[in-house]
Amino acid sequence: MPAAPSTLAALRSLLAARFPERIRKPAGRVATGIAAVDEALGGGLAAGRLTECVAAAPGGGAQLVLAGLLASTRAARQRLALVDGADGFAPEAVPADHLRHLVWVRCRGAAEALAAGDLLVRDGNYAVIALDLRGLPARALRRQPATGWYRLQRAAEGGAAAVLVLTPCPLVPAAPWRLVLHPSLTLAHTRRPRPAVADGVAVALERGAARPEAAAMEELAG
Amino acid sequence: MSYAVLRVDDFALHALRRSDPGLAGRPVALIAGEGRKAVVAEVSPEAAPPAGAVAPGLPVTLAMARCPGLLLRPRDPAAELEAGRLLLAAAFALSPRVEHTAAGCCTVDLQGTDPARTGAQMHRCAAELARLGLPARIGAAATPLLAAYAARSAAPVRLVGDAPGFLTPLPLAVAEPSPLQAEILEGWGIRTLGALTALPKAEVGRRLGADGAALWERAAGETTRVLRLVEPARIFAAEWAYEPPVESVEPLLFRLRRFAERIALELRAAGCVAEALALTLRLEDETDYRREFALPEPDGDVDRWLRVLHAHLETVRTAARVAGVRLVAAPIRAPVKQDGLFDTGLRDPARFWENLARLGALVGGDRVGTPVPADTHRPDAFTLERPADTVPPAPPPPVHPPRGPVLRRFRPPAAAQVELGEDRPVALVSAPARGRIRAAAGPWRAAGDWWKPEAWAVETWHVELAGGGIYQLARTAAGWAVEGTLD
Repeated sequence: MPAAPSTLAALRSLLAARFPERIRKPAGRVATGIAAVDEALGGGLAAGRLTECVAAAPGGGAQLVLAGLLASTRAARQRLALVDGADGFAPEAVPADHLRHLVWVRCRGAAEALAAGDLLVRDGNYAVIALDLRGLPARALRRQPATGWYRLQRAAEGGAAAVLVLTPCPLVPAAPWRLVLHPSLTLAHTRRPRPAVADGVAVALERGAARPEAAAMEELAG
Repeated sequence: MSYAVLRVDDFALHALRRSDPGLAGRPVALIAGEGRKAVVAEVSPEAAPPAGAVAPGLPVTLAMARCPGLLLRPRDPAAELEAGRLLLAAAFALSPRVEHTAAGCCTVDLQGTDPARTGAQMHRCAAELARLGLPARIGAAATPLLAAYAARSAAPVRLVGDAPGFLTPLPLAVAEPSPLQAEILEGWGIRTLGALTALPKAEVGRRLGADGAALWERAAGETTRVLRLVEPARIFAAEWAYEPPVESVEPLLFRLRRFAERIALELRAAGCVAEALALTLRLEDETDYRREFALPEPDGDVDRWLRVLHAHLETVRTAARVAGVRLVAAPIRAPVKQDGLFDTGLRDPARFWENLARLGALVGGDRVGTPVPADTHRPDAFTLERPADTVPPAPPPPVHPPRGPVLRRFRPPAAAQVELGEDRPVALVSAPARGRIRAAAGPWRAAGDWWKPEAWAVETWHVELAGGGIYQLARTAAGWAVEGTLD
């Protein structure tokens, strides 16, 4: 029986030797096209991970993030699934060509949305799965058991899709990254080209680091 | 059919037999209790009546007298754990929503699956489990309870569509009455579920109490419950400790085959194959022998894995006997379909369309698909179409990009009261938003289909509230409404 590890680094090394299959490789990134968001996340949404984006008030630019993801996945010819908890997506608000790779699931509540997300995360055909829970009553969202989020996170880790959860309040205990969008858009923005509007989005990274895997791998190697 | 139950009768005995090759084809009895109180708990068909006349509950001494060649074994928790994981892996092939109900029993939520396809899958699943030494019965019905009843009489698969017709002739014992209830009902001449449910539920409850009413509900198959879902395997590994340690290849290969069969099923349920295998032999002298094998081609073929492992093990000489073995498969997404040179297709078309069908069953078939805006200026006009098989190349970006934040709709639009000042909105009262209006832009007027009964006309405004937030207002003949936010 080997001696008990005396430091955290030694414990990590021991775990790495005992369970080599659990060492996670750095995941790929899917750019949102919103400079502030991509910068906060170290290049975009991490594939095989769950990112929570909190939009507590209107005018934060959460819909711009969705439109940016539609554009970047369309350019890469990947598929995007939008699980729309409150059925708020407006197809006419984005260029028609940015919808050709979209699978839109129009739900009627939190339970339906989580069940749909659970199915899609395991699919393997999507590069991005966006779970939009804005517009749903906070009480209904908080009633969802935390185990459902952990289940979603573990399913995401088994696949290659980046999972974005848009919430009206901090909600997802299992999310390695949590972004908070602060209201920044005004009526003057409605007359500007959309890329210029996207530059005005204000973001704070409340949980996670821009490149957590890289930091972890370095620490493990060290 | 919304639920399926996979059930293995005499689960502990089957788990033991698939773990020990020496028990194949021989009369075996699992014993419970110790010393003189030991009795037969489960018995293999070779020793059961009429061949050996050994039945569960028989004292061990009597069982040995009745069947001289009878092999007596205690339960093997490690073998049961391995068999349980095999059963779970098979259940996950039917649906990702699986409950581990009890030892040798899983309940699967089938909501949204195609009944015809799932029926065929269940037959394949039962055949595969039987081939792997775990004969399972599978029942499918509208509730978990009915599916469990169906599994008891399945051979090996039973799909129940007509619940009353299925339940009526079943014996009362299926609903698991207490001994006292069974005695009372026997006295009333009630011997089948149909006979019990022919009585009014309220009268049964009045005479037998709440437990009697619950029994009536179970007999009618009305009881339903929420499944306690378990996670599918994420680490594809198996481990075994030999007691006593082994020194030849055969027991290792037997164990590795059992591991590989289970791991291959788990990988398939996760839509993966193995790209590498890691083998660890734990030696008696407390050292480990480790070796990794990169498979020539990622796959889930058990025989191919075994050929790789066998070829290597034949060459291995260790300093001590092998006390344990561990096998780990490194998963990779199955390359189900290779992309064409000029198209981006689906990696796993079968799973894609199956999941779309399940989503359709979950939220409604007309609420899933790819949106296509209609060729009109009418607000919120679009159709949902079947997603394309391939994503075509993107055209060059438009010369004039879209302007402003993106609309997010309230469906239906929220009725609003708007105060006007100098022909512009100055205050808004509605369910989603209220307050003084700081700035407003508009109006934009549109109308169409004037020659049809569904003629429409709308005046649209964008307003920014003093408290923050940009909203899109619409004024129609019906009045003002908040159509959505610009976000």
